[in-house]
Amino acid sequence: MAHDTEVLVLGGGSTGCGIARDLATRGLEVTLLERGNLTHGTTGRMHGLLHSGGRYAVSDQASARECIEENRVLREIAGHCVEETGGLFVQRPEDPDEYFREKLRGCRECDIPATVLSGAEAREVEPYLTKDVERAISVPDGAVDPFRLCVANAIDAERHGARIETHAEVIDLLREGDDVYGAVVRHETGPGKQSHARPGTTEEITADHVVNATGAWAGQIGSMADLEIAVRPSKGVMTIMNVRQVDTVINRCRPKGDADIVVPHETTAILGTTDDEVDDPDDYPEEGWEVDALIDTLSELVPILKDARTIRSFWGVRPLYEPPGTGTEDPTDITRDFFLLDHAERDGVGGMTSIVGGKFTTYRLMAEKISDHVCEKLGVRSSCTTAEEPLPGSENLETLLAGMDDFGLRSPVARRSAKRLGSRSQAVLETDEPNPVICACEGVTRAEIRDAISQSGTDLNGVRIRTRASMGNCQGGFCCHVMANELAPEYEEPAVRAALDELFQERWKGERHALWGEQLSQAMLNYALHATTMNRDRDPAARSSGSGDETETVESIDYGAFDAGRGRSAGSPAGRATDGGSRANRDSNSNSRRRNGGTNGD
Amino acid sequence: MSDSDADRPTDDHVPGDDEFEPIQVFPEAEEMDLRPGADNCYKCSTCDTNCPVAEVDDEFPGPKFQGPEQWRLKRGEDTDIDPSIEKCSNCMRCDHACPSEVPLSQMHNTARGEYVEEHVDKLSREYVRNRILSNYGTMARIGSKVPRLTNFVMGLSVTKWVNDRVLGITSEREFPEFATETFREWWDERGGGQASRERARKARAASESESEGEDEGEDKRVAYFHGDYANYNTPEVAKAMVRVFEAFGYEVCVPDQRCSGTPMFANGMLDDARRAAKFNVDTFRELVDDGYDVICSCTSCSMALRQEYPELFDFEGTETVAANTYEALEYLRIHEDLDRELADSDVETPDFAYHTPCHARNQGLDGQTLEVVAAIDGVAAHDVGDSCSGISGTYGWKNEHYETSMAIGEEMFQHMDSADAETGLTECPTCAMQMEHGTGYEIRHPLEVLEAALVADSDVQQ
Ligand SMILES: Cc1cc2nc3c(=O)[nH]c(=O)nc-3n(C[C@H](O)[C@H](O)[C@H](O)COP(=O)(O)OP(=O)(O)OC[C@H]3O[C@@H](n4cnc5c(N)ncnc54)[C@H](O)[C@@H]3O)c2cc1C
Ligand code: SF4
Ligand code: SF4
Repeated sequence: MAHDTEVLVLGGGSTGCGIARDLATRGLEVTLLERGNLTHGTTGRMHGLLHSGGRYAVSDQASARECIEENRVLREIAGHCVEETGGLFVQRPEDPDEYFREKLRGCRECDIPATVLSGAEAREVEPYLTKDVERAISVPDGAVDPFRLCVANAIDAERHGARIETHAEVIDLLREGDDVYGAVVRHETGPGKQSHARPGTTEEITADHVVNATGAWAGQIGSMADLEIAVRPSKGVMTIMNVRQVDTVINRCRPKGDADIVVPHETTAILGTTDDEVDDPDDYPEEGWEVDALIDTLSELVPILKDARTIRSFWGVRPLYEPPGTGTEDPTDITRDFFLLDHAERDGVGGMTSIVGGKFTTYRLMAEKISDHVCEKLGVRSSCTTAEEPLPGSENLETLLAGMDDFGLRSPVARRSAKRLGSRSQAVLETDEPNPVICACEGVTRAEIRDAISQSGTDLNGVRIRTRASMGNCQGGFCCHVMANELAPEYEEPAVRAALDELFQERWKGERHALWGEQLSQAMLNYALHATTMNRDRDPAARSSGSGDETETVESIDYGAFDAGRGRSAGSPAGRATDGGSRANRDSNSNSRRRNGGTNGD
Repeated sequence: MSDSDADRPTDDHVPGDDEFEPIQVFPEAEEMDLRPGADNCYKCSTCDTNCPVAEVDDEFPGPKFQGPEQWRLKRGEDTDIDPSIEKCSNCMRCDHACPSEVPLSQMHNTARGEYVEEHVDKLSREYVRNRILSNYGTMARIGSKVPRLTNFVMGLSVTKWVNDRVLGITSEREFPEFATETFREWWDERGGGQASRERARKARAASESESEGEDEGEDKRVAYFHGDYANYNTPEVAKAMVRVFEAFGYEVCVPDQRCSGTPMFANGMLDDARRAAKFNVDTFRELVDDGYDVICSCTSCSMALRQEYPELFDFEGTETVAANTYEALEYLRIHEDLDRELADSDVETPDFAYHTPCHARNQGLDGQTLEVVAAIDGVAAHDVGDSCSGISGTYGWKNEHYETSMAIGEEMFQHMDSADAETGLTECPTCAMQMEHGTGYEIRHPLEVLEAALVADSDVQQ
């Protein structure tokens, strides 16, 4: 039977995108399905550490070796996604000497370049480190932008003929007897690029082989074909600081514990993290004390953090897995290694392979292994080139960046844009039209926004992850509407409005965990500006019926209602957030499930 | 958040807090990490709407970009600073306007220093010119040795041509004339500190005979920071300061000093500024320890000592000097009953068109001169509004900024023109140059008015 595609990859995280690229470049026909935008799952909610392997050098040397190898590979093939920050394992007076020595020995055993710095030397590298630093080990940790990396993998896959479908949720697997042969997909707005306000459709896609790369959701997918995959999702909290207090990755050098790492990420620094098993990867509490504890503990390493501004917090779920019967109690003890589950071998059901566990840094290696496996299943002879071929944006990066002009942009804006776009800079930024800065916090210009829109349609979150627009200190307060404006006139007003609402909603989701100090001022200013200039406080004039129906969407402003007298506006619902609680319900019946706020008192 | 609101300070964790201490690690201001200062910015853009350069020059991105945004976009290894930093005149209006304590002037000064250090060719005409302009004191010291000759040469059209074409100093402006006798020459001639102590005591004795008390004023001591301009170009202002303070019974001391550094900050010459500031802090710190307060007659000088020094440097005593520095009128208003003293004064002066220098505004001193003058019978001063004069020290002297400078000044010129006065009044010597340049009026300093009101004619002779 001829199928629609050779391989159907489920999940658009780093693993799925990596597999799609690998298989496509080997000449296979690939379709990738992702229910949100790319990186919607754990990949978009991780720390951004390009492991040197140092963190595993004591506890899991096999992982550590993989990490340092892949770390080297990614610097080469994904230069525009990686920042070579270097990392430090910092020892405080109360941290055990014995562990420091083990760490150093472990690094050396795993071939991870490691040098010891005195406390003073460490503080010279990072002046904001605490004064009582004992000493530190310097390792080649890096920072990686997971969004850019996944997008680059997807672009390359597309260039090699792959079909990448985002906002396409798998709602069932097609199984006949002992054979899985495809999936049923619900397209949020129809196949192709997302276009808000367009009705959805469902589609059956058949394939020679299905790869389940849905991470923490792999169990849910498995159960659609009555396969049991015991993923143990474990959540971790991360807090984003407004500025970089450090330019190097700072790890605490002590046996595993919560809140032991600060990663400089683009304009920000990300604090993390924790490790707590949860039942449902879509529904778990996000609590204020987790954020407080994170800041408190990491202030022991970098004291300025205690009073520094945070712009948001977010949680991710690790797709931890252990083979049936292992029974580890503490999630921190579950291996970080990945597992390839050949369901034919394991369950006697052919046509599908699942991949679970692992980490972002080794995504390429995981993709290579699973692609080898799939090729073997399909009888395709080919070899993997992903370790040598640079990703789109990272070709000839050194020479390009060295000779880069500034495209008429102010120097910090040109610098940040070029870093994001890599070798695509020229193609994107060279324009005869005026090219104003649209997101001033992150230095994103119109040309870059338009380039992103050409890739992701009305999905402004897709634009966001490609460009970083709206990810700075105003959290989109000053630029979301300007981004949305770029959708017109290609897209109609209702689509633009819905796209804007969705972006605001997403921004608010993380910002609400940072409502004290400056970020509270920021949120209030945003609120006032949006309420008074865009009527985002839902003045009754905004609703055509004025019914107060929570799930109603605003189609367009009814200007006539402004003249209808005080009586109407008196019915205005009080205390509604700018970003509109009304989106919540809508979201939960679509696929981007909005999490319950939990018990944090915001 | 459970307990966070109470124990999380919400504001002002700008550099300078305990835990920040950049100094031990990074002694050089150019290398200071000011990114945390961007935390306070919530992007309201108030700074941009108050920037006089942004108002007249569409190419200038404004203080919000220049300060918090640019700093936030920086990474450890980055050295490039946007060249537009050179367009900032350092008027510091943004710093004053920001409702959220963003250290804008510190950011601009540091960025400018970094820019000049990394990107301006040390042999370029621009660098040489800026170095000359910012080290005005050196030039003035030499020039004032032969003031008449210098004035003559500076006025020559060939000199103007060389300045204009070779150095990029605009030929539109007249160089300020050098006084035939500097303030310090006069001071030494007059008997220096000893003479001042004597006069102060006499003044106190005179007023105490009225109130029949003991001499309680022995600790009335001030150290005068006159700056280069009052020394070389307007000694009459410096003399007025001395006489007015002595009239109130203050012993004045005039220690050796260097330029306050204001023009050096504005030109990104942070090394020069550091040397000058160090000398000044060392000198005045000791005097403060001996019970002297530091008085400036120029509002940019007081600004430098009070705000810019602590923002950029950390010599021993920087904070002490900053905390004990005052502008002359401000000091008298705090410690003396000026209203009463002025109540029965009566002088004839022409009416004044008064301009508040931006740097006075930054120190919260706007309005004080008008109030003081209003208390004097026979003197009327008209406020010419709150715009910037546009010259900002050396800024308006540069060819490339001359037009911007005059465009900014336009509002002030018009207001001066329509005010009922033909004489200007301001605290700042470079604002005075601009006022004179734009209107042709003669410009006076408030201390000169106070002198006329309070100091007996016989004393003015000495
Ligand atoms: C807190 C935390 C910090 C971390 N930090 C780091 C780090 O610093 N460095 C590092 O190397 N690793 C880190 N990791 C691990 C790393 O993030 C993950 O291992 C990696 O991102 C997993 O990628 P993935 O593609 O396998 O899973 P995911 O990114 O979760 O991808 C699975 C995708 O499947 C999609 N999906 C689910 N159900 C369906 C459906 N029904 N239909 C269609 N699509 C569906 C999801 O939307 C999701 O996008 C961290 C993990 C956590 C939790
Ligand atoms: S110091 Fe003056 S010129 Fe410079 S940015 Fe601030 S307001 Fe504008
Ligand atoms: S005035 Fe202050 S808070 Fe407002 S934008 Fe300017 S720097 Fe930021």
